[in-house]
Amino acid sequence: MWAIYKKELKTYFLSPIGYISIGIFMLMYSIFFYATTITYGSVDMGNLYYATARYGLLLMVPLLTMRIFSEEKRNGTEQLLLTSPKSVTSIVLGKFFAAATVILITVIISIVYAIIVSFFGTVNVPTMLVTMLGFILVAMAAISIGMLISSLTENQVVAAIITIAILIAPWFLVELSNVFSAIDLMDKFMKFPYGLISISDVISLVSITVMCVLITIILIKRRKAVK
Amino acid sequence: MIEVKNVTKKFESTIAVDNISFEVKDGEIVGLLGPNGAGKSTTMNMITGFIEPTSGQIIVNGNDILKKPKKVKKQIGYMPEGVPLYYELTPKEFVSYMAELKLVKRKERKEEVQKVLKETGLEEVQNRLIRSLSRGYKQRVSLAGALVGNPDVIILDEPTVGLDPKQITEIRSLIKNLGKKHTVILSSHILSEVSQICEKVIIINKGKLIAVDTPENLEKATMDTNGILLTIEDPKNNIRNLKEQIKEIKSIKLVKDNNDGTKQYLIISSSDVDLRKQLFDLLPKQDIVIFELKKSETTLEDAFIKLIDNVKEEKK
Repeated sequence: MWAIYKKELKTYFLSPIGYISIGIFMLMYSIFFYATTITYGSVDMGNLYYATARYGLLLMVPLLTMRIFSEEKRNGTEQLLLTSPKSVTSIVLGKFFAAATVILITVIISIVYAIIVSFFGTVNVPTMLVTMLGFILVAMAAISIGMLISSLTENQVVAAIITIAILIAPWFLVELSNVFSAIDLMDKFMKFPYGLISISDVISLVSITVMCVLITIILIKRRKAVK
Repeated sequence: MIEVKNVTKKFESTIAVDNISFEVKDGEIVGLLGPNGAGKSTTMNMITGFIEPTSGQIIVNGNDILKKPKKVKKQIGYMPEGVPLYYELTPKEFVSYMAELKLVKRKERKEEVQKVLKETGLEEVQNRLIRSLSRGYKQRVSLAGALVGNPDVIILDEPTVGLDPKQITEIRSLIKNLGKKHTVILSSHILSEVSQICEKVIIINKGKLIAVDTPENLEKATMDTNGILLTIEDPKNNIRNLKEQIKEIKSIKLVKDNNDGTKQYLIISSSDVDLRKQLFDLLPKQDIVIFELKKSETTLEDAFIKLIDNVKEEKK
């Protein structure tokens, strides 16, 4: 897993993708920082993460995940991976954690804003840490969805568009019926910015992640038999 | 030692590989030969564990690929068709990554990578991006990826496709050297290549195994007539009467007119007689000047086409 993780992480920063996704995060975060913190003199960092998660992840995650398996499949490098002694599980996990690490890097960078605010007021550190935890959990769930989609197609653009569609669909479906809020990742992120760790939210985010990762592993294994 | 036992691979509606069995001994260089779409790549993909056979067994050095994939995959170096590479890496990075995937120990990795880069002649370009390398170098990088970790078995899918003649000779001699230490299976649809490099040829067509033998034996087996190639100067066209004078001749065919007064003929007789001595004595008496007289050799090419045609006829 380690070998694949290292190589994947390196690839993110050998291509512009790593920098662009960090850039998107910084742009979103800065806009909301201006719109809330600076305009209203607020020290509430929680909602900053919420707003960034809602719009930033929508672009960042597909960007990070679209190539994960599509590119390997299209270039045929998939053959190199799957004929190596590494297990499918370690390949999938290596790639998953590499994408998650890029998100983690952005979250760490965002601490700079909290430091700036702390010069002018008191930042509620525990609340911010809880929100950061929530942000990472939501991002990981979104990454697992994106990775699953990427394993289904050879086309990166198709993978990206379908991932965006899946992330965005619940926003509108909720208008039809409240049932759909169950599949809305952002719905599970609502309580974190208030400093609340809801066990049910954590469990549902983690289980979405685990489920998508497992399905990806099963699909890749199964394709060896069918293909 | 690779044992392929009754392996079949079905795709949704077609049978890509149909009940194939063969063995490859240690240190052998074996050529997998067949027209495009014959099932060569599918067979190789199954041996390397990239896809699973629908039925049948593949055993590498005593281990079943389905039961002990990790052990088997460690012993196999694979260069897939179309030379897939990570273009954003350098040859050195790529080969190190492959070494890590092949579970080469951290201590030995650096040394092993340098050894392989040297073997494949990549030392000079090891720090350039693979994207910017020429086709020949890319092929070498792919080969280096297959060699790293010193696997017992090396499987090369069409290793010389897309190279220029000089590069082809280089890659071929590289492969020949590999045969000294490793078991090599390579696929090709170029017959001359296989007859040059390989000690054994496996011919596949439409998913079925047609023949397994040495290139020489295959050539012999399909040679049922004796041909003599004759280049002569024959202004009076006396060659017409030759058939009446030597009874054993079955047919005389004009191969080509050289446009310098000489013509090349192919003389076919039954396989048990050699007419060269008779021709040499007789032709000068007919005012025919011999420029060249030699036995025509059946090539692997002929053998191949014949074998494939035979199978077609049997079906009818």
